[in-house]
Amino acid sequence: MLRVIIDKEMREMIGSTKFALTFAVCAILIVLSFYIGAANYKVSVDHYQAAKAENLQQLEGVTDWLMVRQNRIFLPPQPLAALVTGVSNDIGRTTEVEARGELASHDSRFNEEPIFAVFRFLDLSFIFTVVLSLFAILLGYDAISGEKERGTLKLALANAVPRSTLIMGKLLGSFAALSVSLLVALGIGCLLLPLMGVPMAAADWWRLGLIILTGMLYFGVFLTISMFISTTTQRTSSSFLLLLVVWIVGVLIIPRASVLLAGRAVDVPSVDEVGAKKASYASQLWKDFRHGMASFKGPETQDVEQMMNVFNKYMDSLTAIRDEKMNLYTAQLNEERYNRQKVQQAVAFNLARLSPVASLTLATEELSGTSLGLKNRYYDQAMAYQKIYAAFLKEKTGMNVGGRMMVFKVKMDGEEEEEEPIDPNELPAFVYEPPSVPDSLQAATGDMGLLGLLNILFFAASFVAFRRYDAR
Amino acid sequence: MNLNIEMIPMSDKLPINPQPRLEAVNLTKRYEDGLLALDHVSFSVQPGQVFAMLGGNGAGKTTTINLFLNLIEPTSGEARINGVVSHQEPLRAKEQVAFVSENVMLYPNFTALQNLDFFAQLGGKTEYTRDDYRDVLRRVGLDESVHDKRLKGFSKGMRQKCGIAIAILKDAPAILLDEPTSGLDPKAGHDFIRLLENLRDEGKAILMSTHDIFRAKEIADVIAIMNEGRLIMQEAAAAMVGHNLEDVYMQYIAGRQAQLQN
Repeated sequence: MLRVIIDKEMREMIGSTKFALTFAVCAILIVLSFYIGAANYKVSVDHYQAAKAENLQQLEGVTDWLMVRQNRIFLPPQPLAALVTGVSNDIGRTTEVEARGELASHDSRFNEEPIFAVFRFLDLSFIFTVVLSLFAILLGYDAISGEKERGTLKLALANAVPRSTLIMGKLLGSFAALSVSLLVALGIGCLLLPLMGVPMAAADWWRLGLIILTGMLYFGVFLTISMFISTTTQRTSSSFLLLLVVWIVGVLIIPRASVLLAGRAVDVPSVDEVGAKKASYASQLWKDFRHGMASFKGPETQDVEQMMNVFNKYMDSLTAIRDEKMNLYTAQLNEERYNRQKVQQAVAFNLARLSPVASLTLATEELSGTSLGLKNRYYDQAMAYQKIYAAFLKEKTGMNVGGRMMVFKVKMDGEEEEEEPIDPNELPAFVYEPPSVPDSLQAATGDMGLLGLLNILFFAASFVAFRRYDAR
Repeated sequence: MNLNIEMIPMSDKLPINPQPRLEAVNLTKRYEDGLLALDHVSFSVQPGQVFAMLGGNGAGKTTTINLFLNLIEPTSGEARINGVVSHQEPLRAKEQVAFVSENVMLYPNFTALQNLDFFAQLGGKTEYTRDDYRDVLRRVGLDESVHDKRLKGFSKGMRQKCGIAIAILKDAPAILLDEPTSGLDPKAGHDFIRLLENLRDEGKAILMSTHDIFRAKEIADVIAIMNEGRLIMQEAAAAMVGHNLEDVYMQYIAGRQAQLQN
């Protein structure tokens, strides 16, 4: 009996004009999102390669590593960031790394090309969030109330069919018909990636599979919500209106309102406030530094070179002390701000999880590596690189270079020697390591589980409501 | 014609069969809002009998059918199908009955054959072939040329024929018809009555609710009049020969209203 109902539901769903139209639009948008994502990725790779080459090019002709002050590193484009952009376009991709001092990233995609920030991208995340939920609603709003209006519900229940079998068959049939159709469209989109030259590693395919699974769970939530609303209304027009309200509140209002509420509820010191404190402390440290510099007492020698060496070492030690103090203070301020931000994020995200959109967004961004953690991860790896870079420069120059330092070099008259240019390719390369698939999955599991739970909850609610549904 | 209501009493002249296919025993339904939709209604429908329930809107005809189908539960009393109490064993009871409703749209994107196939399987009939479906559709008067057409282009009469074809395929001993001729043109109505005659001849017990006094007179073996949830008259059609059924109906309704006013 269940098979008969599932089979009928699938055939009825796929055979309808409504399905043909909505699915055609949905499929075109899905394939388009993959196409645009792949095209964007290729453009980003070109920019990335050009920026890296330009960074090395600026060092050509330099003959002393002491003269290498600014080395730029770049956040490489990730294939999946093109499909689920997350915050990847909002954070600075370029970081100027000196051997010492705090790092700051700039040149975000939206900063460089602000037009894209106006309406954002037509990425897979958008398709899932908006189009898939509408697709589910458009094809599920009349699941039960439509059968009642057509008289087929009463006719079906005039047979020896348990209501539980009927509702189960309807849900499984419609989910199977719609998800298989969507998976075909998504499959075509996936094929476009290698065809358009996007290098997808095995881990990327795993991530993409999990992103699609999350999308299907999200789609299932809206389908079961539609089924539930349909079992609580007697007319299709009422179901549709109610679902439209649910969609507007769930998809458009709750996520945005949550962030606004969290922003009001939890204070986070602004970047300017933190910057002012850092500047004030730096200024104080600079005063101490100058006092220290003034109290330098050199060895009693006529050897200028020996004198300069002692002076440089002295300066080096003063700088190291100043840097250590500054780093400690900066780390403390950053940590305080970071902790407040974490509290704010937790409040915002937990409020937003009232809507399945939040779970979808947070899970897919974790899986694609474009969540809020991307900024911190990039920053942490840039800091780690800074240490490698500092060690490299120390090895090359014999001192802790960088920052506002003065280096005195003594050149005796008549000492003209041919200076060899440095080889910029010796610079240590910055390699960004995205989080591993298990780590991403672990971070996304909670939200994926929540989506699964919502599926079960709304299905159970439909089940209970249908048992009491007035089918007359 | 001046009729005396007492002339046709709640009769004991009805044909009695010890095993009625459909039976209402003191069937009462009071809704949660206090409305008494059905008040101690009792009747039975024998094999090979058409029982027509006449009455205006809200008389309780559809409520009676809904109680047989267990779409609602009775407040008291029982609706029995082939001896099985509907609200106690709904699935077993519904195996014994086919249903044709007013204005059934069926599935507009399915063809006539697909609609028949689905409902036949839902009714537990899995042995039918496409030829069987075509035979039944021909029998109810649907031309072969429309068997593979989607129902979205069908007229109400054609859909109603599909509905009766579904009921025929179920091959149940009892059939419930809710306003089956509502909205049908005279030709379709006539064809429909001929179909019912055939089913009656096959021994089906048919309970039909209708507003259509003309059709009821034409086909019914027993005529009942319902008003405000009560069965105020039931009589063998044979006993009413010579009476104008419309006048009888109006007399009973007027008599019932007078009773209520007193």
